[in-house]
Amino acid sequence: MSEVRLQIQHLSKSFGITKAVRDVSFNVSKGEVHALIGENGSGKSTLTNMLTGIYTIDSGKFILDGKEVHPKNQVEANNEGISIIVQELGTLSGLTVAENIFLGHEERFVKYGIKNTREMNRQANELLKQYDFSHIRAEEQIDEYNFEDRKLIEIIKATYFNPKIVVIDETTTALSQEGREELYKQMNRIREAGNSVIFISHDLAEVLDKSDSITIMRDGSYIDTVRSSDVTEDDLKRLMVGREVSGDYYRTDYGEKVSDEVVLSVDDVSVPGLLHDISFNLHKGEILGFGGLSESGMHEVGKAVFGASYGRTGKVTLADGTEINNISSAINHSIAYTSKDRDNESLILNQSIEDNITLPSLNDLAGPLKSLSDKKLRTFAEKYAKQMSVKMQDVDQFVSDLSGGNKQKVVLARWIGKGSDILVLDSPTRGIDIKVKQDIYQLMNRMRQNNKSIIMISEELMELIGMCDRIIIMKDGAINGELTRSKELNENMLISKMV
Amino acid sequence: MDARTQSMSKKKMSSAIKGYLILCVMVFLSWLVFKILTPDNFGTLDNMLSYFQASLIASAGAVGFYLVIVMGMFDFSIGAAIILASIIGCKLAAMGYGYVGLLGGCLLTGAVVGTLNGFFYIKLRIPSMIITTGLALIYESLANMIAGGAAQTLPANLRLFGQMPGNIILALLTFFAAYAILNYTKIGTYTYAIGSNEFIAKNMGINVDFYKFLAFLISGVFFGIMSVLTISYGSSMVAVTGMASMSRNFVPTMGCFFGLAFKKYGIPIQAIVIGEFMINIIFYGFVALGAPTAIQDVITGFALLIIVALTTKMVKGAIVK
Repeated sequence: MSEVRLQIQHLSKSFGITKAVRDVSFNVSKGEVHALIGENGSGKSTLTNMLTGIYTIDSGKFILDGKEVHPKNQVEANNEGISIIVQELGTLSGLTVAENIFLGHEERFVKYGIKNTREMNRQANELLKQYDFSHIRAEEQIDEYNFEDRKLIEIIKATYFNPKIVVIDETTTALSQEGREELYKQMNRIREAGNSVIFISHDLAEVLDKSDSITIMRDGSYIDTVRSSDVTEDDLKRLMVGREVSGDYYRTDYGEKVSDEVVLSVDDVSVPGLLHDISFNLHKGEILGFGGLSESGMHEVGKAVFGASYGRTGKVTLADGTEINNISSAINHSIAYTSKDRDNESLILNQSIEDNITLPSLNDLAGPLKSLSDKKLRTFAEKYAKQMSVKMQDVDQFVSDLSGGNKQKVVLARWIGKGSDILVLDSPTRGIDIKVKQDIYQLMNRMRQNNKSIIMISEELMELIGMCDRIIIMKDGAINGELTRSKELNENMLISKMV
Repeated sequence: MDARTQSMSKKKMSSAIKGYLILCVMVFLSWLVFKILTPDNFGTLDNMLSYFQASLIASAGAVGFYLVIVMGMFDFSIGAAIILASIIGCKLAAMGYGYVGLLGGCLLTGAVVGTLNGFFYIKLRIPSMIITTGLALIYESLANMIAGGAAQTLPANLRLFGQMPGNIILALLTFFAAYAILNYTKIGTYTYAIGSNEFIAKNMGINVDFYKFLAFLISGVFFGIMSVLTISYGSSMVAVTGMASMSRNFVPTMGCFFGLAFKKYGIPIQAIVIGEFMINIIFYGFVALGAPTAIQDVITGFALLIIVALTTKMVKGAIVK
């Protein structure tokens, strides 16, 4: 049996009345990639946030190489040999690349209170070279680099000091294929050095492919630890959800004719530096997919349709000839939009579920003198939160307390409540567990059957293939191909048009 | 060095040059407008040197205040702090302590004011604008009590920092100190880190409250230096009450906005100094024109807001609060 690196013993954590982690115990071995999976809200991130000092521990302990550790922040965690790469951006604007890499560890460059910037830059450049990221310069402001490069810098920051445990928390969904490959390479390097990775991901195929063992959590509790080679995706789904989950949660219909009725036309739309002369039609009851590499411009298509792009030219027109040029006209004409950046662009995190769901419908809910009735707002929010099965205490709960999947349900509840006929969903299942994904796919299918039209933008090729009537592939800000729904459609056919 | 690296280095270089160019063009245009309007009594080389010396006063405070502004905080007690520190420094100097009294009194008072601002901000968890407004009233009253209602005049033999080269040497040392703090100490790194994302900074083990406190303290010391230059240049100081000191907040604050606007070019301290110079050119331009004070203030305010708005060039869609 392999040597134990980290022992997690009877760990618990509560937030108010919510028990996020309940008496969890399991071990992580030396030199392994140990996946941690579970539905949204199962307690994975809470557990690793305690390990890395972001949250305090209520009870229980972490024992690393035989010694109990309880870091109070990430720097203390780093000093204990633990680091984390987070899902969202973990670097700080206004600092240089070198300052970001060594943030919290400047002491080694400080003598008599003076920071040796030259030495810091030199060491950072050496690391960048070692990691083969030579196109990044240590002395540059980090703001000069795109999301992908900044993630690469985070990888260095989390691994350069040879930590014993690296937590990778749902990072791959934020990366393009190239970025993912780089991350996998680093995971292998860590494993080969005899250190361990705790790998959190909702992509079960990726989990099975990249990890050695898998721990499953559900509702804050430990369920099981299995060897990756001994299980299938369906086994994992069953363990995560607690019951049998059908493997084909995508649409199962093929050959259904899509209505000829065009509900939205996009003609020669361009956005400076992002989109060039995009034209397409969206039909009634159609799910139209957009795929491509993350920088292909596909995410901008959603914004352009919703009137949220800057400097857009060209026309976005509804069937009745109404032109959509800004967000207000989009919402007033029954267009909904969910952003890829859920926390920053779709939700008001420090407001209640009720506030978030009712926000675009306030005019519809207002009384004769534009007065708003608390009771009416609450009933409205409760109705749609319930319809979307949002896991919550009540609609007064702050959205910031919800898991990623439940946040997404709140966003969708908002637009269902508004009665939108055209939905632009950018990465609707990003960072969401399998059960909520299934709920969202089923919802989309029902909406399609009810003649709602959907534009689905996604970096997940399988969900595009599984859910869309047509898939438009974007490359370098332009349309590079279109594929129609069929049983024969596969990932390679999409990839060939993406690269 | 690969091609992309070379292009990035060139980009950085050109970024700073671009920043300097924009600043120089703005200074030149400000000079040109008034030179055309009032050619005889404005903008000679001697005049410009005089405007520059006057601008050093606010610059000395602004380069320290920049730390507070970058962290997302504010200070409405600048004017009151300047008055209080100037009066205490002046009193000590006149009491026979000479330059030690002047420098020590001003700098220590600035440090105490900064300490109080930082302490109450951290402990009471009230927005810095409210805290410093409340404290400004106290500092004003304190200055009034110490001055006993009379104007405090700095003895004529102690005005080394009111003229060349004393004022320029002190100001240059101040700018150098601010530059060094920002670029060669942990404080500078943490200032930007906290200003960028306080939550992440905290998670990186940075004692956010301590560094915020430190920013106020350092800013206070720089305002102390500003007080030395102010009292040395103007030779006397009158204590005011009822928030009349607020008018002294404007110039150093505007200088900081120049710093923020030109941070992206990597030259915030330099931008503060040149920005303050430009503010003075505009101010003396109006004086040369003989414009009434109210009109001067209105036009100066508008002109500076337009300049900062044009140079800041916010990213489209970025949220500004």
